[in-house]
Amino acid sequence: MIELKTIEKTYGSGDTATPVLKGISFRIQAGEYVALMGASGTGKSTLMNIVGCLDKPTGGQYQLDGADAGTLDDNALSHLRNQKIGFVFQQFHLLERTTALKNVMLPLIYSEPYPEDAEQRAEKALTAVGLNDRMYYRPGELSGGQQQRVAIARALITNPQIILADEPTGNLDSKSGLEILAIFKRLHRDGHTIIIVTHNEEVAEHADRVIVLKDGKIEQDRRVAQPRDAEKEVDERIGREDAE
Amino acid sequence: MKLSRNLALSCEILAAQKLRTLLSVTGIVVGVGAVVLIVSAGRGAEKKILDRIRDMGTNLIVVNAGQTRIIAGRQRQIATVTTLKADDAEAIARQCPSVALAAPAISKKLATRYESENANTNVVGMTPEGFHVRNIAIASGRSFDPEENRAQRRVAILGPTVVENLFDGADPTGLRIRIGRVPFEVVGVTAPKGMDANGVDQDDLIIVPLGTAMRRLFNVTHIQTIYVQARSAELLNTGEKEIRELLRQRHRLRDKPDDFTIQNQATLVDTERETTRSMTFLISSVAGISLVVGGIGILAVMLISVRERTGEIGLRRAVGARRSDIRTQFLLESGLLAAVGGLVGVLGGVGAALAVSMLGYWETVISWPAALIGFAFSVFVGIVFGIYPAIRAAALEPIEALRAE
Ligand SMILES: Nc1ncnc2c1ncn2[C@@H]1O[C@H](COP(=O)(O)OP(=O)(O)O)[C@@H](O)[C@H]1O
Ligand SMILES: [Mg+2]
Repeated sequence: MIELKTIEKTYGSGDTATPVLKGISFRIQAGEYVALMGASGTGKSTLMNIVGCLDKPTGGQYQLDGADAGTLDDNALSHLRNQKIGFVFQQFHLLERTTALKNVMLPLIYSEPYPEDAEQRAEKALTAVGLNDRMYYRPGELSGGQQQRVAIARALITNPQIILADEPTGNLDSKSGLEILAIFKRLHRDGHTIIIVTHNEEVAEHADRVIVLKDGKIEQDRRVAQPRDAEKEVDERIGREDAE
Repeated sequence: MKLSRNLALSCEILAAQKLRTLLSVTGIVVGVGAVVLIVSAGRGAEKKILDRIRDMGTNLIVVNAGQTRIIAGRQRQIATVTTLKADDAEAIARQCPSVALAAPAISKKLATRYESENANTNVVGMTPEGFHVRNIAIASGRSFDPEENRAQRRVAILGPTVVENLFDGADPTGLRIRIGRVPFEVVGVTAPKGMDANGVDQDDLIIVPLGTAMRRLFNVTHIQTIYVQARSAELLNTGEKEIRELLRQRHRLRDKPDDFTIQNQATLVDTERETTRSMTFLISSVAGISLVVGGIGILAVMLISVRERTGEIGLRRAVGARRSDIRTQFLLESGLLAAVGGLVGVLGGVGAALAVSMLGYWETVISWPAALIGFAFSVFVGIVFGIYPAIRAAALEPIEALRAE
């Protein structure tokens, strides 16, 4: 599904050239749940953006679904992002001046053909993240956790195979963060490929594979023997709160 | 890209910034409003002038003795020419098939007096047909008949301005006035006509029988003008040709130039219309330039918008927008802004034109074509000035744009 061969990324050129990625190779199969870890500034976001076809590597080869991303033009990459990839960002990136529903529908504007049932699909996506009673709220009227759930609903609206999340819980308290992780767990169960960038060990424990970056290289690539189950933890937490 | 959906979203985003949206389109609003107002005022002026030309008479052809030239807005004879005679008028009426009536006339400014009141007035000698051809109605009293004309009676019909000047507005019928040294009896007063196309008061005149004027007042055997009524508006040009041929023949001109000048209402209308139109065009072009300046307002606001919405652009690219989609979006947004401005401008211009007309400052005729062109032009201006910001927006790299927020 995702295959990187000696991917390199260097920002700037000449004297100011700063190599960030220095030969990264890995494969991710469809349906995997991968955590991309590393200290701040090690190039996690950079790598993620390359995987998401938002950015181009300065060296190496990247194959997505058997297609060499380096050979695709801008329009083809846009189409790919629209159809195959759903992004979730640390800062949510919602349009402030419109409703949750319209935010979720945004990717459909760029889908051909525009689905007749766009609105129903957006309602369904919002319901799936537990926001059925917040559809007509603007981002400013929602909590951080709710905003991130709107962003997830948006990432899901075109039903992409891959979900890329860059520090999705970075701006959230632990409870909201756990709820987000529970949604990812369910999406993983439904067959989505999930790559989540984090520098937080606890967050990474929810994935079934962890790739650790250091100094522009892969330091570690390991399976997680027993991934944590956020869905279960949320249920337990609710149970505990009810008991109190 | 689903245009309609995206446009609806753009509307929502722009509407959320009312003040800025308003400021950005002010230039366009003023420009379009001014164009609509000016053209409507111009059309009002045109209508007024055309109405006056029509007031001069129905299907009118005017023959003047000698070559004339427009001096200070009035048609003037360059030199006194004595070749035009009352017989010519009769011949025109009889021999030109396109002509219904022909009324010879001569006029001159003379001192007139009633008791101690004096006035310098345009005294017109003409035949009774002249009233009909020149659309002069009698408001009170009577006109004179052909018999009085032939007998060179000293009867006079006054214009309302003369009544005002000599009689302070009192009814002058039956009273005696002096024109030059000759005593006349006032038998009637004409209905007011107002100003002619050149702004000359048409009510400041005294009409007397042609024969009386020629013999007793001016002591001449020639006339100055023949007012001709063509049988229909379509025959104006034909009538003019017939008259020219007949007069050249009667005056035995052979290879000499005309010793008369002919004008017909149709060409007069055309000339006047052209004059006011070119005037209107000139002024509204200036207003049009202000519209272009309005486009710069849109340019500025769109550039700010692109800067401010860099994050939005990045996000749209991330969820699948192509460069062309971003370009189209920003072009449409600036077009949309300009369209809103254009619409408000049209409404404002029409409103102002109606107000000016209703308050009695200036007669206006709303020009819907100007409104439409003004609107279309403002949308065009919006799109043209939106091109650069749109290109800048589309050129942003998705990842740079996302990071900007
Ligand atoms: N556009 C850029 N230009 C120059 N340097 C950059 C740019 N983007 C990221 N970097 C640098 O690359 C390194 C990796 O950044 P990033 O991928 O954001 O790290 P992480 O997400 O792991 O914190 C950092 O040192 C950062 O300063
Ligand atoms: Mg990062």
